[in-house]
Formats: sequence, C-alpha cells, structure tokens
Amino acid sequence: MPGLHPAGQLRPAIVKQLDLARHGLATSAADAAYVSALADGGSLQLVSSANDVATIAAIRRLSPRDAGRWPEFVGFMNRAAAFLDAAYSTTMPRLPKVELRADGLPLASLALKLRRMGGKDMFRVMRSLSMSAVEFTEEWFESEPLNAAIAGVAIHGVTLGSMSAGTGFTLIHNWLNRGGLAHRTAPGGPQGLTDALVKAVHANGGEIRTDADVAQILVEHQRVIGVRLASGEEIKASTVVSSADPRRTLLGLVGAPELPPEFVWQTQSIRMRGSVAKLFVQTDGRHGLPAGTVAIAPTLKYLERAYDSTKYGEMSQDPYLEVTTSGADVMIHFQFATYALRNADWGLMRPELEKRAIDTLTLHFPAFKGSIQSVQSITPVDLEQTWGLTEGDLNHGQLILDQIFFMRPLPGWSNHRTPIDGLYLCGSGLHGGGGISGTPGRNAARAVLRG
Amino acid sequence: MPELSPCHHPLYQLRRTPFHARTSQLCLPHNWRRWGGCLAVGSYDLGLDREYWAIRNHAALIDISPLIKYEITGRDAARLLHRLTPRDIHKMQVGQVYYTGWCDDDGKLLDDGTVTRIGEQNFRLTAAEPQYRWLAMNAVGMQVQVTELTEQMAALSLQGPKSRTILNLACEQPVDALKYFRMAFNRIAGKAVSVSRTGYTGDLGYEIWMDAGDALVIWDALVAAGHDYGITPTGILAMDMARVEAGLFMLDVDYTPASHAWIPGQRSSPYEMGLGWTVNLDKQGYFVGRRALEREHREGSSWKLVGLEIDWEGLEREYAAVGMPPQVPASAVRGSIPVYAGPRQVGYASTSTWSPVLKKYVALVHLQQPFFAPGTKVEIEVTVEHHRRKSPATVVTLPFYDPEWKKK
Repeated sequence: MPGLHPAGQLRPAIVKQLDLARHGLATSAADAAYVSALADGGSLQLVSSANDVATIAAIRRLSPRDAGRWPEFVGFMNRAAAFLDAAYSTTMPRLPKVELRADGLPLASLALKLRRMGGKDMFRVMRSLSMSAVEFTEEWFESEPLNAAIAGVAIHGVTLGSMSAGTGFTLIHNWLNRGGLAHRTAPGGPQGLTDALVKAVHANGGEIRTDADVAQILVEHQRVIGVRLASGEEIKASTVVSSADPRRTLLGLVGAPELPPEFVWQTQSIRMRGSVAKLFVQTDGRHGLPAGTVAIAPTLKYLERAYDSTKYGEMSQDPYLEVTTSGADVMIHFQFATYALRNADWGLMRPELEKRAIDTLTLHFPAFKGSIQSVQSITPVDLEQTWGLTEGDLNHGQLILDQIFFMRPLPGWSNHRTPIDGLYLCGSGLHGGGGISGTPGRNAARAVLRG
Repeated sequence: MPELSPCHHPLYQLRRTPFHARTSQLCLPHNWRRWGGCLAVGSYDLGLDREYWAIRNHAALIDISPLIKYEITGRDAARLLHRLTPRDIHKMQVGQVYYTGWCDDDGKLLDDGTVTRIGEQNFRLTAAEPQYRWLAMNAVGMQVQVTELTEQMAALSLQGPKSRTILNLACEQPVDALKYFRMAFNRIAGKAVSVSRTGYTGDLGYEIWMDAGDALVIWDALVAAGHDYGITPTGILAMDMARVEAGLFMLDVDYTPASHAWIPGQRSSPYEMGLGWTVNLDKQGYFVGRRALEREHREGSSWKLVGLEIDWEGLEREYAAVGMPPQVPASAVRGSIPVYAGPRQVGYASTSTWSPVLKKYVALVHLQQPFFAPGTKVEIEVTVEHHRRKSPATVVTLPFYDPEWKKK
C-alpha cells in the first residue's frame, strides 16, 4: 500500500541541516498544476506563481479583475507562509508562564523577523488567520470557481467547512507545506523522503527498528525509564521522543494513572475528530485524469455542504475530493468521512464510501469508472487502528485557532516536554504540525539537546 | 393554591436529613445550621453546656448524615485512592479506616475525610465537599466505579466515654474488640449497620453508617439503649468546641481548599496543616501532588497549624485594667484573630474556643516559621471593652485534650 500522503517536503533548512541531498533526496518539481473540476464540466488549472501566463489567462476567462489581482495574491500568500514558517521555527513560550531566559530571545528574534517582513503584511496575515476561507477569498476575488478552488486547499485535512472561522489560517498552513495550491511531488515521492532520512540516520550511527510496536512507555517517579515493545522486550532509555499523537502517547502509552489529573483532563480535551478517508485505485491507465493535483471543489457552498454532514455524524453525500495520479494509480483524498458515524459503523459503510468517491469523480471524469481494476480504501477507523491515529486525525489534533501556536498540543506544554521527565513529543500534534514539514521534529530535537 | 416564589423551589431549599422527624421535634430553640446543603441542628438547647458535657462525660448522639460519602469499587479501587491521597492505600487492611487529606498537583489541600476499606475492592470515602468530578478525573484509565451515597446513607456519631457501653446494648454483636480507626459490620434493631471507631470530638466514640430508610428505627434503638447512660442528642456547635480541643480542623474554617482559593497564598499543604504524618513519600508510584510535597518535605514548610494556649493571668490583667473579670466566648469562634511576636504579626488563629474540660482558652493557630515551635511565647489579640489588646500565649502541640480512653 502506498503512503498516506501524495507528497511531502521538509522545510529547506531542515533538508540542508540533515544533508538529505547527499543521502539521495531529489528536489521537488516547481510549479505543479492544481486542477479544479468545475460544475459545468470544464476545469480551472492554476499554477501558484505570480507570473504564470496560462494561469492568468485561465482566470481572465472567468474575470479580468481577478486575473489582475492574481500576482498580488500569490505574493501575499508566499509572504504569509513565510510568516508562519518563521513562527513554526520558534518554540512557543509556555503561557501563561513565560520564562524570559528560555523563551525571551527566540521570541524577540521572531518579532524582529516578522517586523522585517513588513508591518502592513503582518496586520493582514493576523487578520486572515481567523477569517473563513469564504471571507478571505471573496476579499481577493469575485469568481466563484477560483474562490472555491482555493477554499478546497483551506479545508484540506481539517474538520472545518469553507465558512468556518480559522480556515484562513489552514489555507496559509497548507500553502506553506505544499509551496502553493498543488502538491509538489519529487521523483520517488514520499518514499524517496523516507529513504533519504533512513540513510541519514544510518550515516550518523543511528539504528532504526521496524515491526517494533511500542506497547508502553515505562515511567518511574514521573521520569521515563524506557519502553516496552508489544513483543515484551524492554528497551531502557533516559530520553524517549514520541511522534505518536499526544493523546495516544500520553493516555495510551504512558497511561493516565501516571499523570496529574488536570493534565489528563486537558489531554482528553484535545479535539481530534478525523474526517478524512483515502482510496487507492488501480486502473488500466485510461482514467482520463489530468496530471497534477485535481480537486473536486466546484463552489464554496459545495464545500460547506460537504462539511455539514460531519455535524450530523454522516458521510458527505457529495464529497470534496483531492486526487493525484501516478501512472495508472489513482489516489483519492475523501472529505468528509467523519470518524464518529451516527447509527452506522465503518465496517458497513466502506462500500458506500467507495461508491460515493468513484461516482463523484466519474461525474467530472466519465472515463474513470470504466478504468478501475481494484479499489482499496482507508476509513478513519482504519487510520486509528492501523496507523495509531486517535480518531483518525491525520493532524494529531485539529488545526483550529485554539489548538495552534502556544496552545499546541496543550496550553502550558508547548515546549515539547511532558509532566514525565525525559519524555518529549515531536509529532504533528505539536506546534508547526499538521502535514509533512519536519518542523515539530526539529524543534523537539532542540528541546532534547537543551536538556 | 398560590404559586411558589422562586426561593421556595426545592432546588433552593436545604435538604432534610433522614433523622429530621426526630431532630426537628427536639430542636427547641430552632437553632438550625447549614451543612452540606442540609439542615443541621446547631444546638438542641439555648446553651451548649448540656450537649458539650455529654460528649466529655457520657454520650452524645450527633446526626452527621450531611457528610459527603462515596462508594468506590472495582479492580482499581485501591489504585484510585492510592493515587488520590498521600497515604499508602495498598497497605490498608480490610476493616481499617484512614484519615487523610488530598491535594491538587501543587500539593495543596483540596479536602479531607476518611477512607474505609470495606472489602478488598470496596472503599468508602467521606468528604466535606462534593468530589465526584475530581474522583472521575483521577479515575481515567482505571477500572473503577464511583457512586455517591450521600443521600442514600445516613450516619450518626455516638461520642463520649459511655458510647461503647451503649453500643454494646444496642448492637447485635459487642463492639469491645473494635479498635481505634477500625470498622465492623453489625446490626441495630435488626437493621444492618457498619460501625467505625471514629469521630470528630477526640473522645471515645463511634460512627454508625446505615441505609437512610432505617435511620429512625436505629435512632430510636440507640436513644432507648442509652437512656440510663445519659445519651444526649447533640448539635454541631458543641461538636465544634470538642473538635478544637481534639486539635481537628475544618475545611473553609481552618483552611481554604485550593479549589476555593482566590489567591495562591490562601492554599495550605498537608504539612502546613500538621498532616505530615499522612504523607507517605516512600509509597510506590505517582500520587497527586507528589513532586510538590517531596519538595516541601525537603525544603521545610513556612507555615504550620499548631495549638495556642492563652495565658490566663495575662488575659486577666488586660480585663482588670478596665475593671472587668476575663470574658471568654460561649462557643467556638470561627474568625481570624492576629497572633504577634513583638510588634510583628506572625500568624493568626482560625478557630478559638473556651475549653470547659481543660478550663483554658485555646485556639488553632497558623504560625510562620520559626514561631510554630512548641513552647514559643507569642501574643494574641483580644478585644477588651472595644479596644484591641494583646494577651500572652504559648504554642503547644495538638491535641489540647487527649483522654486515655480515646484509643483504649
């Protein structure tokens, strides 16, 4: 089975620090295409660069005014992403207790960096974070298909609709991780990234053990002493760094009885709520899908309605899809497939999930259905049971405004530490996380080195 | 039928305890107090003497049903209480009772009460305040059921030197073998009860736990059995004097639970409240507040609850100066009174009382380090004819009153 992510790029600084190019990591293709299938059967193809002639021409057919604003929009999004990147590279203070010695300098340098990026932009970025994708895009553009195409990226991977507050933030977050609207696939795909990382670990004298499920993190007197594998083997360690989601790490692997009650309550309160399903479809190659990242996001209301179903414990009747192809293989990202179905379970709903995904895609690409040879689907429950993601949340905790920055993973615990000495968190549930960027891992490594 | 005004809505009314049919007939001065959302008898007479002396000389019967009570059962019942409290619950025997406080993770007291091991996987916890949420927060990841029994379970406290004799007459099984802080099942008037040798008076005494439906039958049986021994229905005001003599403190009077504190300085640790003996730092595993308590144990506490005896000659002098004999309060005073060392205030009394049995004016006081050492001479504020004066006093170890029959 292929990986869950169609693409993934680490931040350039991390690639450089780890010297991943030397370990075989290929650079991603620039200017990938983002193709939005429209309601009338046509499509809108966007390349996220300010001066792409074909993109501007395509937008001009919808609205000459929007075509004129496109270069400015791309410039703004790139600067907004750079703001976020700078914030993500800075370990957040443990509010409300700011420790001037530990947090003061990095925060001051972040403030300086942001200031240098421009005061006017900073205000606009701050304002954008709390806006909805609808409000945000409609401030820029008047064309519905263009706004909806952008809004699709804003709600990608989160349990939020195009009209939810905070999807301005998730748009900038996804733009940063992708480098624009489209996924940029490097030769070798996400597997190439994993291979390079493995080589880097080996080259530095590290050892990686696979097929070694951690069953328990061993604790004595609120200090980590190692891990116990599912096989029963115990590995002693004075430092344990977990990339599993915070709730699974703390309540599952450490266990609530070892943790302070208020902290347990806070950990239980992290909103997870996955609503993404994935499908891997093998075709005979005649699927008729264009290359690049294909989105089924025809209108802003279509996206909001797809999201509405999660509120009622249902799967979207007309889902938001994002599709990537690799030769004859088609990978479909399906939203919204809520983890907590009402009056149904994922064992029984799987055929319906596959049907809705295939029918929706076939509506826009009629050749698709006939080309299918096999279908493999991953429901949110599979994500939880096979991948260990609590409630099937790929982000290890929803990317919502009260769960980001110094409130990620928990208010007061934004420095990768836990109430268990020697136990650190480094996964997507941390500041900078959601998606593949390497940022939470790099920040965690810094915290471990600081001791 | 006229419509009830909102203040008559059942939600706004104090509940009646299962003994109300008896206590309300006897409560002649209508001296009712509020305790845990219930009507509780303050005193059955206009004065407290008869009830106080029943505690110290024969036997007082006190309705303690408003106590908050929980039943904790299941595979992890002991584990939950071991985590909740600083005591080593795993060492507890079936039939044993522990007195303990419990803390937040900063090591500051939230409440105090007793833990009774009813069975291997069955405990009873009493508390001054509702604790269900805190118990549930601490039970995450455990196989345990917490059931509140406050209203289903009635309780009587029988306190005084004659309490054993009366219980032996009333109970099916004699209670002679029941040791201090132990519990045993028994029957009174054919009804199942559990009897623990516990109390809030510092005297020989027992607490009797029963189904609320059996309350009146058991009350009547005890009153009948105790008739010849001077059994006396007693209110909580006389008990308040006795508990100060016994050096026992009260939530919201002698300490502010961390969950009620407006500012950090209002909170108290078990060490500060003289409960260091309940903090078992050698026990296995995490318990709430462990790190903070370890630190306090290492570094020492800056406050401590101790006893204070007000010097009688000094008090007499202050009153003599205005031509009066010394005045002492007629019941326990729940109010903060400053304590000085020279010109500097070094602490305060939280409850003070005249002790009829000791013939002394005593107080539970909170003193700063190093003034809490026994024998330290300090001064306490007294108001003499509307003027604030200071009277000399001496720090003593608690309890003030500890009769030999209490634990015998």
